[in-house]
Amino acid sequence: MNFFERIQALDRRWIYLLVALAITVPLVLVFDSKTYTTEPTENIYQLIDSFSGRDDRAIMINFMHDASTMPELFPMEVAILRHAFLRDVKVFTICFTPTAAPLVDYAINTVKEEFPDIQSGVDYINIGYKPAALYLPIVLGMGDDIAEAVETDAEGRQIANLPMMENIQNYNEMNLVIETSGSSFGAMWYIYARPRFGVNVAAGITAVMAADAYPFLQTGQLIGILAGLKGAAEYEKMVDLFAAQDRPFSRERAREEHVSITDDAVLYKFRVARIGMNAQTVAHILIIVFIIIGNVGYFFEKQREKKV
Amino acid sequence: MKRQIPLILIMTLCFLFVFHAFIPHKYSQDFYQWWLSWVRAMTPFAVVLGVMSLSMIHWTKISRRLPNWQYSAVTLIALAFTTLAGFLWGTQPGTPYMWIFTNMQMPMASTMFSLLAFYIASAAYKAFRARSLEATVLLLAAIIVMLAQVPIGMAISRWIPQISDWILNVPNMAAKRGIALGVGLGMTATSLKIMLGIERTYLGSGD
Repeated sequence: MNFFERIQALDRRWIYLLVALAITVPLVLVFDSKTYTTEPTENIYQLIDSFSGRDDRAIMINFMHDASTMPELFPMEVAILRHAFLRDVKVFTICFTPTAAPLVDYAINTVKEEFPDIQSGVDYINIGYKPAALYLPIVLGMGDDIAEAVETDAEGRQIANLPMMENIQNYNEMNLVIETSGSSFGAMWYIYARPRFGVNVAAGITAVMAADAYPFLQTGQLIGILAGLKGAAEYEKMVDLFAAQDRPFSRERAREEHVSITDDAVLYKFRVARIGMNAQTVAHILIIVFIIIGNVGYFFEKQREKKV
Repeated sequence: MKRQIPLILIMTLCFLFVFHAFIPHKYSQDFYQWWLSWVRAMTPFAVVLGVMSLSMIHWTKISRRLPNWQYSAVTLIALAFTTLAGFLWGTQPGTPYMWIFTNMQMPMASTMFSLLAFYIASAAYKAFRARSLEATVLLLAAIIVMLAQVPIGMAISRWIPQISDWILNVPNMAAKRGIALGVGLGMTATSLKIMLGIERTYLGSGD
């Protein structure tokens, strides 16, 4: 068996071992790498930033996934919540799958640990889990009255009585919905709520689904997307660069300036996506190398067969 | 009657919802509100039905000692334990329910999803071949998009992210939009067939 036949018949367990090493080593031995921001991510950041300090504006994060897609989606949720808490932007959180309910609590608590003054009902409202059968009624009902559409929060309190609702009634005030999902990227909101009530819709999605979301970005049905871990890393960088330093947002600075990810001044949980991007970089390079080696072997095999 | 009553119910409701979507009259709004209260009332029964169905299927597997019945036992024990933990101690941080979620559900679910990376790498090596012109174009597009997704793509050349954006915004979008239009037309045709009683397979077989 010659070299090319050998690489063609390579046992897949060697491939699995190399992939495991390519992913785990960069997570343990963190190296500094640049994060380049893109327009779809910047759009979401900019819109949330424009709600800073206003009690008549709010955003909503719809956690539409379970723990399986957490490595990609959870850093986005943490970064958005951190941004909102730093900039005093009111936040609603909601989910329509029971497996997402603990994730909502986990995300809020992860960020809240660093913000002791943030209060439930005042700075954010966790609506919690609502049955999927009520998804469409809630999406439409919020166009008239959020408090009437969902009635109670995760703690069973009447939403209408919470202080945060004083100047917030419907999509006119809660003007951005971000759906984090492994598949649906905000369809219910951009089909039903955007045309009827004009709410802005954005999506945080896994990288494998990003290509599906582009048509909706181009039409303006989605104002922005966070595409996989890369989107989360970009958002983390912008929060560090602007909100955490109390600086105004600038696309130019977001693209030009670099934030070190080996700097321990930023907590690990707030740079986890950028560290994860190191692993993704090595894994992508490895897959490209696999494709090239596989094709070189295939090419030489074909040449040999022709000669025979 | 077993087929006719569901058929009449579905056809009537389908038309009422179409009217509600296009005619914002008070009667239409009242009907919608009435329907909402029914949805709220019916949802808990769906949960009960789901738990009953799951329990019956797995209990049958255990009692008949069917192949891999042990997994069914694990499923039922997990179902009972998690439900009890939620009911007895609540679902807030620090409770057994949250402990189960963070220490069992999260790592197990993430592990299952992460297997994708291993399969993709293996498939890329074993099957992603430039066998034809179309396959070669696909292969090159995949390499460019993969490079553009990570910082090294930009470090190699600023053209890589730009070409990747073009791939995603032009050929990818055209194909995706074509598929979406096809799916949309298919959904409309199927909905019409259901509304008019032509499509009845969802009612199941038998009388």
